[in-house]
Amino acid sequence: MSADPFHLAWFAADGFGVKSWGKTFSGRGGQDWADPALWIDLAQALERARFDFIIIEDSSYMPDTYGGTSEAYLKTATATPKMDPSVLAPLMSHATKKIGIVPTMSVSEHHPYGLARTINTLDHMSQGRTGWNIVTGSNDNAAKNYGLDDWLEHDERYDMADEFFDLACRLWTSWEEDAVVLDEATGTWGDFTKVHTVDFQGTYFSSRGPLNAPQSPQGLPTFVQAGGSPRGKKFDARAANAIISGVEGGPAKMKAFRDDIRAQAALAGRSPDDVKVLYLISPIIAETDEEAWAKRRRQTEFAEAHPEIGLLHLSRHSRIDFSQWDLDEVIPEGTTTNGHRQQLEQCIGKTPRQILREGFGQGNFEIVGSPDTVAAQLDEAMEEVGGDGFLIASRDLNRRYISEIADGLVPALQRRGVVREEYSHDTFRDNLLAF
Amino acid sequence: MAAKPFHLAWFTSFNPPSWRSPWGGVSGEEWMTGEYHLSMIKQMERAGFDFIMFEDSTMVSDAMGGTQELDLKHALHSPKLDPFPLLPMLARETEKIGLIATGSTSFYPPFILARVMATMDHLTGGRVGWNVVTSSEDVAAQNYGIDKLLPHDERYDMAEEHVGIVKKLWESWEPDAVVMDRETGHYADHTKVSPIHHEGTYFKVRGPLNMPAGPQGVLPICQAGGSPRGRDFAAKHANAIVVTQPIVSKMKEYREDIRARAEKFGRDPDDVKVLFHLSPVIGETEDEAWEQHHRLFGMEDPLAIEKVLAMTAAVTEIDFGKYDLDAPFPQDLTTNGHQSVLADLMERNKDKTLRESLSERAQLGPQVVGTPTSVADQMEALMEEVGGDGFLILAAPHTRRYIDAICSGVAPELQRRGLVRTEYPHATFKENLLAF
Repeated sequence: MSADPFHLAWFAADGFGVKSWGKTFSGRGGQDWADPALWIDLAQALERARFDFIIIEDSSYMPDTYGGTSEAYLKTATATPKMDPSVLAPLMSHATKKIGIVPTMSVSEHHPYGLARTINTLDHMSQGRTGWNIVTGSNDNAAKNYGLDDWLEHDERYDMADEFFDLACRLWTSWEEDAVVLDEATGTWGDFTKVHTVDFQGTYFSSRGPLNAPQSPQGLPTFVQAGGSPRGKKFDARAANAIISGVEGGPAKMKAFRDDIRAQAALAGRSPDDVKVLYLISPIIAETDEEAWAKRRRQTEFAEAHPEIGLLHLSRHSRIDFSQWDLDEVIPEGTTTNGHRQQLEQCIGKTPRQILREGFGQGNFEIVGSPDTVAAQLDEAMEEVGGDGFLIASRDLNRRYISEIADGLVPALQRRGVVREEYSHDTFRDNLLAF
Repeated sequence: MAAKPFHLAWFTSFNPPSWRSPWGGVSGEEWMTGEYHLSMIKQMERAGFDFIMFEDSTMVSDAMGGTQELDLKHALHSPKLDPFPLLPMLARETEKIGLIATGSTSFYPPFILARVMATMDHLTGGRVGWNVVTSSEDVAAQNYGIDKLLPHDERYDMAEEHVGIVKKLWESWEPDAVVMDRETGHYADHTKVSPIHHEGTYFKVRGPLNMPAGPQGVLPICQAGGSPRGRDFAAKHANAIVVTQPIVSKMKEYREDIRARAEKFGRDPDDVKVLFHLSPVIGETEDEAWEQHHRLFGMEDPLAIEKVLAMTAAVTEIDFGKYDLDAPFPQDLTTNGHQSVLADLMERNKDKTLRESLSERAQLGPQVVGTPTSVADQMEALMEEVGGDGFLILAAPHTRRYIDAICSGVAPELQRRGLVRTEYPHATFKENLLAF
C-alpha cells in the first residue's frame, strides 16, 4: 500500500545569493551567483518534475550574531549576499507555465499597500502563479536598516502580521472581479462603482485604497508561512495555504504537527484540506545506497571540520551567539530569544556538536539512498503522517542536485503513483488544493 | 549645419495601451502579462533607443469631481502595475538598452529601494536607472498611511536625504570586497563591507546593504524637475532629465539653465542629458499624417474631450465641462489647486477657444507631424535649435503599429543621417547614455 498522492515543493534556503561555490560541482556558482540563469533552470527543471512551487527565502540585513562580526558570514557567503526575490520571481514565471513562484516578503519591512501592489503585479504577470511567503522580521540588524532599534516582541509581531494580512487581502479585493468592462461603445475601461476604497485604520497600519490595479488571476495570492511557535501556528491556521514545517523528530512528530494545524484551521472556520503542511527535507541521493551513504559521510566530515558554518544560521535565526559555547558544552535551560523560538528550543539541552551531527537544517528526518530507496522512504513517511508533502531544501544548490531530484527522485515517486504526472489546473492555488 | 547626434528614449507606464484604437488588438485585455511592453522594447533596441522609462503613481484618482469615475473610465492614472517586476523580464530578452523605473522617496524606505534597484542592476547586467520622484498626491500617500505629504520644498529635502542614503548603501561594499579565494575559503572580505550608520532628519539606517552593488555601482538617476528646487535637485543628481515643453525657445532656455546649475554643483554638464517629450504623428503621406493628427487632437470625439477635461481637472480642480467649447478660453478662473498651472493655462490660451486649448493640452511637447522623413527633419531641426540632448517619445496612440512607425520608420531615417546610434559601444546603460 502507498500513501495518498502528495505535493512536492522547493525551499530555496538562503534566498537569492551565492548558492554553491568552491565545491566539486559548483561550476561557476561563485562568479555567476547574480545571474538568474540558475534560478530559471531550477524553475524549468522542477516544472518538468511537476512540483507545486518554489519558495525564494529572504532576509535583508548583514548578519553578525555569530562572534559579533560579519566575518564568518561573509567568508563563507552564508546568508549574505542576498538580493531582492521580488524581481527574480518574474523571470522564473516568465520561463515556465504552471509552477508556482513564491518570493518572501516581510511584513515588518514593507507597507501593506506597496507589498500588495507588487504581489498583485507578479500574479498578473505570472497569470495566477504567484505566492507570498509571509515572514515577520526577527533579527534586529534588519530592524536597524529600517530606522528601528529592534522589531516588536515575538508574539506581537504576529499581531502585526494579522493586521497586515487583513489589510492586504482587502486591497487585493478592492476591485470587484468584473470591474474591468472594456466597453468600446461607451469608451469605458473600468466601472468605478465596482472599485472601492478600503479606509482601513488599524493599530499598526492605515490605508485608504483602493489598489490601483484590478484583481489578479488568483485574486488573493497563495499564502505560504513557516510558523512553528504556538503563536505562529495560530497565524498559519488562519492564513496559510501551505506551511513550511521544520519540526524535528521523524514521522510521529510530523503527524502531531499536522494534526494540530488541521484542528486549528477547522477552529478558524477553514477546511483543513485548504492548508497543506509540507516538511523540509534534504535527501542525499546517489546511484546506489552505498554511494549515497558515502556522500553522507563526506558531508558529515566536512561539517565537523567546519563547525562554525553550521552554527552561523542557528546564531542569526535564534539571535544567540553560538560561538560563546564550546562545541561540547550543553546549551543551558532558560536561554531565550526574540528571534526564531522553535529553532532555539530544539537546541536546548544539546551541545553544539550534537546539533551539528544531527544535521540541523537538514530537515525533518534523514533521507539517504538511491532514487528508489528515497522514494520508498518518502512514501512510507507520508503514509504515516497522513499528508501533505515535502519541501526540498538544499543550502548547496547546484544543477547536479537539481537533476538528482527532478530527474532521479521524482520519476521514482511518479512510478509509485504518489506524486502528480500532470498539472490539472492553470493557477497555483488550484493545483495546490487539487488533492 | 546638422544637429549633433542625440538620444532617443521612450516614456511609458505599466498600464493598458490605447485599447480603443483601431490598432489596439487585444492589448486592453492582455497588457498585464508584460508581453506588450516586451514587444515594444525589442523594437526600441533595434531602433537604437537609449532607454525605456516607466513613470509610476499609486492611486486611483478622484480629483475629477470627487469621484473615481473618469479616472477608471478612461484608465488615466489607474490601473498601473508595479514596474519593478516588469523590468528584469524586459531585460532578459534584450541585450543593451537601458531600463528606468520610478521609485518614490516618500513611499519606499531607502533600504528597500537601494536593494531592489541594485538587484535589478545585477539581473540586467548593468542596465537599470532610477527615476526619482517625491510624489505629489495625498490620495496616494493615504494608501501608505500618510495623511498629507510634506510641503513641496520639504519633500525635496527628504528626497536629498533619501538619495544620499541609497548612494551610501550602494557604496557600502568596496568594489574588491568579493575575493572568492578557494584556498582560504573566503568568499568576501568583511573588512571591506561597512555599516553606514546614517542618522538624519527623516531616516535612520544602519546598513551595510546585504549585497554588493551591481555592475554600475551608483545607478544613473533620472528626474523631472520644473520648479527651481526641482531643477537644482535634477542638476545635482540626474543623468537624464524629463521635460515637457512645447515651445522651442523655452526648451533651449531650460537646457541651458540645467547645464549652468550642474556646473554650479561641480558636475560636467555633459553628464546631464535633457530629454524632451515628443509625440510625433506619423502617416504614410503628409496628408494622412495631418488627418491622423486631426483624429487624435481635433477634439471632435466627445470621449476624447472628456478625457482631456478630466486630466485638466485633476491638476486645476476646475470642471471645464460647464464651459462652451468654442467660446474663448475663460479668463476669470480661480482655484485652490495648482495655481501656477491655472495661471499659465489662462495666459497661454487667451487667444484660443477652449477646444483649441484642449487640443494643445492633449499633445505633450512640440508639434511634429508628417511622414517618417519629414518627422526626422523636424526632430533634427529642433535639436539643432535647442542644442541637445534628445527626445522622450510618448506614444500617440500607444499601439504596436505606432511603436513600429517610430522604430521602423522614423528611427532608421535618423540613423541613416547619423543622428541616432546604430550600436551600443559600452556594456552598461550609464556609459552608453553618457557616451555622447
